[in-house]
Amino acid sequence: MSQEKDGFAVVVEGLVKRYGRVVAVDGVSFRVGYGEVFGFLGPNGAGKTTTIHVLATLLRPDGGRVLVAGRDVVRDPVGVRRSIGVVFQDPSLDGELSGWENLYLHGRIYGLRGRVLEERIEEMLRFVELWEYRDRLVKHYSGGMRRRLEIARALLHRPRILFLDEPTLGLDPQTRAHIWDYIRKLRGEMGVTVFLTTHYMEEAEALCDRIAIIDHGKIIAEGTPDELKKMAGNDIVYLKIREAKPGVCGFFEDLVMECKELPGGRVALKVKDAVKALPRILLRARDRGLDVLEASYHRPSLNDVFLLLTGREIREEGPMDMIRAMVMSRRWRR
Amino acid sequence: MSEALDALIVMAYRQLKRFRRGRARLVSSVVNPIIWIVFFGLGWSNVFNFPMARAIFGGLDYLSFLTPGVVAMSVFTASFIGGITVIWDKQFGFLKEVLVAPAPRWATILGRIIGDSLIAVLQGLIILGLSFLVAHSLNPWGVPASMFYMLILSLAFTGVGVSLALKITSMEAFQMIISFLMLPLVFLSGAFYPLKYMPDWMKIIAYVNPLTYTVDGIRYWLTGVSTFNPLLDLAVLAGLAAIALVAAARLFSKTTLD
Repeated sequence: MSQEKDGFAVVVEGLVKRYGRVVAVDGVSFRVGYGEVFGFLGPNGAGKTTTIHVLATLLRPDGGRVLVAGRDVVRDPVGVRRSIGVVFQDPSLDGELSGWENLYLHGRIYGLRGRVLEERIEEMLRFVELWEYRDRLVKHYSGGMRRRLEIARALLHRPRILFLDEPTLGLDPQTRAHIWDYIRKLRGEMGVTVFLTTHYMEEAEALCDRIAIIDHGKIIAEGTPDELKKMAGNDIVYLKIREAKPGVCGFFEDLVMECKELPGGRVALKVKDAVKALPRILLRARDRGLDVLEASYHRPSLNDVFLLLTGREIREEGPMDMIRAMVMSRRWRR
Repeated sequence: MSEALDALIVMAYRQLKRFRRGRARLVSSVVNPIIWIVFFGLGWSNVFNFPMARAIFGGLDYLSFLTPGVVAMSVFTASFIGGITVIWDKQFGFLKEVLVAPAPRWATILGRIIGDSLIAVLQGLIILGLSFLVAHSLNPWGVPASMFYMLILSLAFTGVGVSLALKITSMEAFQMIISFLMLPLVFLSGAFYPLKYMPDWMKIIAYVNPLTYTVDGIRYWLTGVSTFNPLLDLAVLAGLAAIALVAAARLFSKTTLD
């Protein structure tokens, strides 16, 4: 057994998955190290969910090799299943059971029992702040509560790797912030490796150590959020100066990569890292007797990166999300 | 192995727990057989209320002939419909939770089949209890044995129902199969009238209908009247149950989200 090949939690090489003639995942390769939070960022239909389903042993790949926790998803699916927890995009709870019962059921299926199980259920329910609601039937939970319960359930058996498929899709901002918190704690306190998919840029940026941008079943860029953003260009610092005279650019020559004087006393300065450059620029301006009225900077976002690479934007909360959210809540109400 | 057993037990527990919550299912599945016994059975029992009539039903009054059949029918229906819950789980997503678990698939599906079977037997017992109120030649000592037949029947048909549900994606298709399959199987089981009065072509179907052997077996233990040897009945049922359970386990083991 090649336990944990090269210390990677996930190794994917040339993964292909087709549905009939449609190629959902088209030769994707990446690696996720232990303890990392790795994100798949891409628009709806990019192949994110399909990839997660293959990694979670629920879909058979049509090509390529996939190792999760050092085990092959095709040859040793049970070995993979032992090491992972999964939060699916669509609900997968039993609405007729209470929150506590859902976790109990899960624990027993994963071979936990007795005191250990009960303690863990309490621990996890407290972690996602649902302990008070443990006896309520899940069909009476709100969407956010359900998602939190799913996270608690996926962690109950202490998996080494957690898969989260669009963990905050269709949730209100407050619940989203809660869930981000949990995910950060997971990495920090529990040392869980997290693989998540999202089409929210802020989410990828806020949570992930590394991001792979995926579109039409292919990874089009990969790196840390900073590395990716650098691809879209440099930061730009804007200054507004009282009674600016021509030639102010000369004052900053050694601090910036490029400088442009704009009308209305405005100056645009291209820099590598705006956050570090800004104080120096302001100091220099004071030394030269310039009266700076306003200072701001623009930093390329992941959306700029996506735009640069595909010519399209990653769609933000659009009509599809609304419909999906409605369908999901309708399903549960039945 | 103990892990597999744990998974099996807890899946059975889930079915029972859900059943306890959903009282409506119990009411609806008990009402139907009661309607058969009262409106069909009581009506015909007056028609057959003449001295020669008993000869038709092997020496039994009509209600004593009919009720074991209705008990078998109710267990059969409940079991088969138990399979539909797999489609629900597919639609509501819970199936994924089971599919992604490391527990052996045969154990999780078998646990759920056992849970649903126990529910079906419970429903059968309720009908059987009510039958004692209207039918006068039923033998209470035959209840344990008929319970055993009910259980095997129910394992067999929950297994068939689950297997079908794993293959079928839509609730509508499942309901179509139920209406095409269930009513004819009930009518051709000898529950309502003796096999020997059926036209020959019908008899052929009745002989390959597993429900026939259940009705026959349960009727034997409750009234002493039967067409076949009750051990043959049991053997047929057990054979079917074995095939259905293996099929369900195999299908579930291969289930993916494709």
